[in-house]
Amino acid sequence: MTQTTDMKIRSIPFLLLASFFPSSLFCVAQEMSSSQLTSEQEKFFENKIRPALVKHCYKCHAEEGDKVKGGLLLDTRDASRSGGDSGPAVVPFDLRESLLYVAITYEDSSLEMPPKYKLEDEVIADFRKWIEMGAPDPRERIHPEGTPQEYTNTIDIEEGREHWAYQPPQSPVVPAAAEKDIPLSSIDAFLSKKRAEKGLTANEAADGYTLLRRLTFDLTGLPPTSEEIAQFVPAYEAHPESAIAEAVSRLLASPGFGERWGRRWLDVARYAESTGKEINATYPHAWRYRDYVIDAFQSDKPFDEFLMEQIAGDLLPSETPEELIENTVATGFLAIGVKGLNEQNARQFRFDLVDEQIDVTTRAFLGTTAACARCHDHKSDPIPMSDYYAMAGIFLSSETLFGTAEALQNRKATELISLPAPAEAGASSKSLAEMIDLEYQRDLVRERLADINTQIREARAEGNTDQAQRLRLQTLGLNNRAGLLDREIASFSDDGKAHPLAMGMADRPAPFDSQILIRGEEDNPTEERAPRGFLQVIPTPDQESIGPDESGRLQMAEWMASPENPLTARVFVNRVWSWMFGEGIVSSVDNFGPTGDQPSHPELLDYLALRFIELDWSVKDVVREIASSQAYRMSSDYNAAHFEKDPENRFLWRMSKRRLDAESIRDATLAVSGQLDTERPHASLVAELGDGFVGRNVSESQINTENRRRSVYLPIVRGLVPESLSLFDFADPNLIAGKREITTVPSQALYLMNSDFVIENAEAMAKHLFQDLDLRGSALIEEAFRRCYSRSPSPEEASKTRAYVERFIATASDSGMEAQQARALALTTFCQSLICSAEFRYLN
Amino acid sequence: MNPQPSFLPSRRLALQTASSGFGYLAFSALASLSAQKSAWASAAPSPLAPKTPHFAPKAKRVIFLAMQGGPSHVDTFDYKPQLSKDTGKSARGFAKLLGSPFSFSPQGESGLMISELFPHLSGHADDLCLVNSMHTDLPNHPQATTQMHTGNFQFVRPSLGAWTLYGLGTQNDSLPGFVTLAPPNGAQNYGSAFLPAVYQGTPIGRASRNRFVATQEQTSIKNIKNPQLSKDLQRVQLDFVKSLNQEKLKRDEYHPEVEGIIESYELAFRMQDELPDVLNISDEPDSIKDLYGINDNTTGSFARQCLSARRLAEAGVRFIQLNHGNWDHHRNLKAGLEQNCAQIDQPIAALLEDLKQRDMLKDTLVIWAGEFGRTPHGQNGNGRDHSNKGYSLWMAGGGVQGGLRFGSTDEHGYQAIEDKVHIHDWHATILHLLGLNHENLTFPYAGRDFRLTDVHGSVVKGILS
Repeated sequence: MTQTTDMKIRSIPFLLLASFFPSSLFCVAQEMSSSQLTSEQEKFFENKIRPALVKHCYKCHAEEGDKVKGGLLLDTRDASRSGGDSGPAVVPFDLRESLLYVAITYEDSSLEMPPKYKLEDEVIADFRKWIEMGAPDPRERIHPEGTPQEYTNTIDIEEGREHWAYQPPQSPVVPAAAEKDIPLSSIDAFLSKKRAEKGLTANEAADGYTLLRRLTFDLTGLPPTSEEIAQFVPAYEAHPESAIAEAVSRLLASPGFGERWGRRWLDVARYAESTGKEINATYPHAWRYRDYVIDAFQSDKPFDEFLMEQIAGDLLPSETPEELIENTVATGFLAIGVKGLNEQNARQFRFDLVDEQIDVTTRAFLGTTAACARCHDHKSDPIPMSDYYAMAGIFLSSETLFGTAEALQNRKATELISLPAPAEAGASSKSLAEMIDLEYQRDLVRERLADINTQIREARAEGNTDQAQRLRLQTLGLNNRAGLLDREIASFSDDGKAHPLAMGMADRPAPFDSQILIRGEEDNPTEERAPRGFLQVIPTPDQESIGPDESGRLQMAEWMASPENPLTARVFVNRVWSWMFGEGIVSSVDNFGPTGDQPSHPELLDYLALRFIELDWSVKDVVREIASSQAYRMSSDYNAAHFEKDPENRFLWRMSKRRLDAESIRDATLAVSGQLDTERPHASLVAELGDGFVGRNVSESQINTENRRRSVYLPIVRGLVPESLSLFDFADPNLIAGKREITTVPSQALYLMNSDFVIENAEAMAKHLFQDLDLRGSALIEEAFRRCYSRSPSPEEASKTRAYVERFIATASDSGMEAQQARALALTTFCQSLICSAEFRYLN
Repeated sequence: MNPQPSFLPSRRLALQTASSGFGYLAFSALASLSAQKSAWASAAPSPLAPKTPHFAPKAKRVIFLAMQGGPSHVDTFDYKPQLSKDTGKSARGFAKLLGSPFSFSPQGESGLMISELFPHLSGHADDLCLVNSMHTDLPNHPQATTQMHTGNFQFVRPSLGAWTLYGLGTQNDSLPGFVTLAPPNGAQNYGSAFLPAVYQGTPIGRASRNRFVATQEQTSIKNIKNPQLSKDLQRVQLDFVKSLNQEKLKRDEYHPEVEGIIESYELAFRMQDELPDVLNISDEPDSIKDLYGINDNTTGSFARQCLSARRLAEAGVRFIQLNHGNWDHHRNLKAGLEQNCAQIDQPIAALLEDLKQRDMLKDTLVIWAGEFGRTPHGQNGNGRDHSNKGYSLWMAGGGVQGGLRFGSTDEHGYQAIEDKVHIHDWHATILHLLGLNHENLTFPYAGRDFRLTDVHGSVVKGILS
């Protein structure tokens, strides 16, 4: 742990209050029952807190008081924790979330208590001390339904382990070749055996054009160039094995591989650059995780390391600053999820956050839906609630640093992680003048706020409540403005350089176990705590125990990345398979549990999983092995007899015909027009826009600007995914999506027919072919087809093209268009037609 | 329903022998991966083709008038004389009770009590089914709005409109099946979540912050017109695209997705004409425009939405949502409500009238609802706070009893006490009216079958006609 200690979590002073707090996010800290209170704590409460509550609060906030205001009772521990209309009054260890404390400090003019006078400073200090010590409260808890309920585990774990996916993969015997007189790889031998059982035989190998198109799109998300085709096709016809090996090596080494495969992981990791949901605050630093993922695939980072870093990178040793940066950024995986920032109940927010983390972790890596066990045991899944809360304890004992700007509707903002050199900032630098102006604006807003707050007090003192109310409304917008300015200023150094910040995870200083919540309700805890741990149904022999001072994230990562874990390797190789064949060996790629699908080829899955581990978790090696198989090179030709037996092609008698994904369609459009800019842009548009709220100070038009970069670099803001992607079934970044939908809807057709983007690219393509390459007639048609379809046109297609151009020009002249314009438009629309056509977006 | 699975090659042969283009099998083979997995959906030939409901429906389509912000029920549709009497008194530990500044009077033969805020709508009292006993889980706008639309505010779930389209398909192959006019932020409210994307709502126009306008320019959808080609030239181009696609289909021998693409171009081509036409209200007679109040500054914007809704309904769109905002009256309740109600009263009354005169009200379910109601006690002197424990909405048309007041709140209107209707019950009832059993309309996702009502909801039998 050489450098880890240098890694400071920078406290960003974006909120005045924040700087007071040792840790502003001390979560669902251990609730001490009265018997657990030390005598000192009890004395403090009885001497300092209870008298103050009785004297200043009970009049309006006790069952026996005159009237209950704001739905808030402060006369029991439970009632003060659950709070009133505005939220919890007391949150142990957390001053910022404790509305009682916010109210008595008179920091927020909308919430000042007691209303008629401010408490003496010593009394306020007592409350602060009390909350910071965890708000020990001997007053009896009153459970919502009488006595606290107990949790009883109803799951038979041993029985659950019998499910195939929880059994360790068995090294299968590779069957003897059952069909054809060609050398079969192990992969092919398994497939061949299954086909023979089903009375199926494999299609012949596809031609070189088809195969190179398939390989190039699958590995890089781009079409092959005419030159690549010209080189590959004859080589493949002469020596298929070596031609494929060379092409695969070339493609694996090209930067397109990381971009293509990184994006696939980003689907699983529900990557996005904003919180989503109602408030939808931007994540200006999320792009670092995106780049980390792309680089990991590009550099062939072993998958077990990739996993470890994403779950517990902050806890891993780092030898160099670069490694430290990588390890830190990787944990962004856990921080970039959907968040409902306007959740009023702080405990609820934390449990929802943790739930999201459990869900993404278990589904992405283990293909297991543990999050179902939040509310009750499920008969179908051998995951008891106690397992869920064991994992919840791990995440509750960790801090999720996701940033966002403080605002009226966002009291959930957190710090971010400051990265050491050589990390570069995401946003451009500001001039000194801009910095001075920002601070000036902030000071103005702050002064104005202070001013209004004084006026509010005066108005109240005069009994002019209407006036006070009017003034208070003015403070709302100003407070939001101040929050954004604070955040912006904090993101830059005084001389205008943007700080290199990252989202990610950190362990809390005092880890603890989570209570088990009845029905998952935060206000309905059992007395029972689930010791921090993992899913019992998946034991690994070398599992290390979690120390009292550790969250357990590291151990959880080790447990998942262990070669003994029966799921991790299987789940990932199955994803690789589905990304290359269009369907997983297990169709439900994110669900290997009893409610998921059965594997079509269980032995092949085990073989690949063990092979993956044997290859030191090298993704590129597994891809290479699959790409070199006979199965991968099969043609997709139709065969009525086989189709009858196996219409869904579960047993791989042919290669399935697959539609390209949204990114490939967009990137190919740019590629064929000669417009694609393959440079990686620095950071992201969202980094440049900075912190903000979608629909308020960040608009759709700012986000959805077209450019010529690869699609993986387009801004992905939840709810505002660019049209070019969302129309073609881009993964909803609100969901963990190992598999995308394929839809064919008219809005796609309208986009291809009429959008500026497609028309501009068609024009560029026409210009490139005609002007830059000086092509005419057959040569032009040939090149256009090669670019769009990766093959030459058939004579019939070539003649249809000529007929089209003639008919178009004739129709255009009939309507009075100039001949020159008609010819140009005919050429452009020919190029556009190729982009519109089905073959452009399909792989054979 | 065609018992033959959609993938049998006979359809390909049918396609090849068909001489007259590709419109004959609207939307066939648009099936998505998941839809094929769903037993329910795989029985139908295409995900958007009209489907047979579970039982005979009373309503064939829905027009949902969504009022964002939480309209006060005690000032509109929940008559509370005791509240007026107790004005100024304290109750339940809250601020002082505030009687409605508006008077109520019995309307129509049914004598439903409706506030003076709705002089036009009152004329349709005998068509309205007032549900006075609604309740929802949380008194916060975002969560309650999401729950109203999707049943669940915690997770991203498909919207009511998406479930409807999934369950019933659509009737017009030249138009989207679920349209939402000028929606506010939050695509989730018309999203399809894990349902296939074909079921999501098509937004037309967009509400700018707090303004839910649908001007002629804004009731347009993207990419609906080619910037450089005339209709004739585009037809020439699309014929070429079609020939390329047919060429591929011939080579592939069997490829339903390519058939789907061919059809999607034909539909898109038709939509280019039909959708702007449907949304173009300029050819409506003046009498109709006046009925809705198109040319009035106050009513104009919502009138345009209502008239567009009727035209979309007429054209066969399955689920149409209209949006109106600014109902969050924490203060200035009187002036605020007067203004809002004046904006919607005449247009909504006109919509009911117009549907009726076209004999469409009987199978169109019209719903008016906000995400919650407001407190009987005052706030800021002349406003009301959010209240989720009891509020009102109304439904009219297909399958609901007109002139009925269902359920009730306590004497002040604070919480529902009799025949309580939760959002889940309301959703179950809407699906029921459409001929769908909410317990059977499921979709498999993440290892289990999901439904709009989760594990809750029961049909409110008392309001069925």
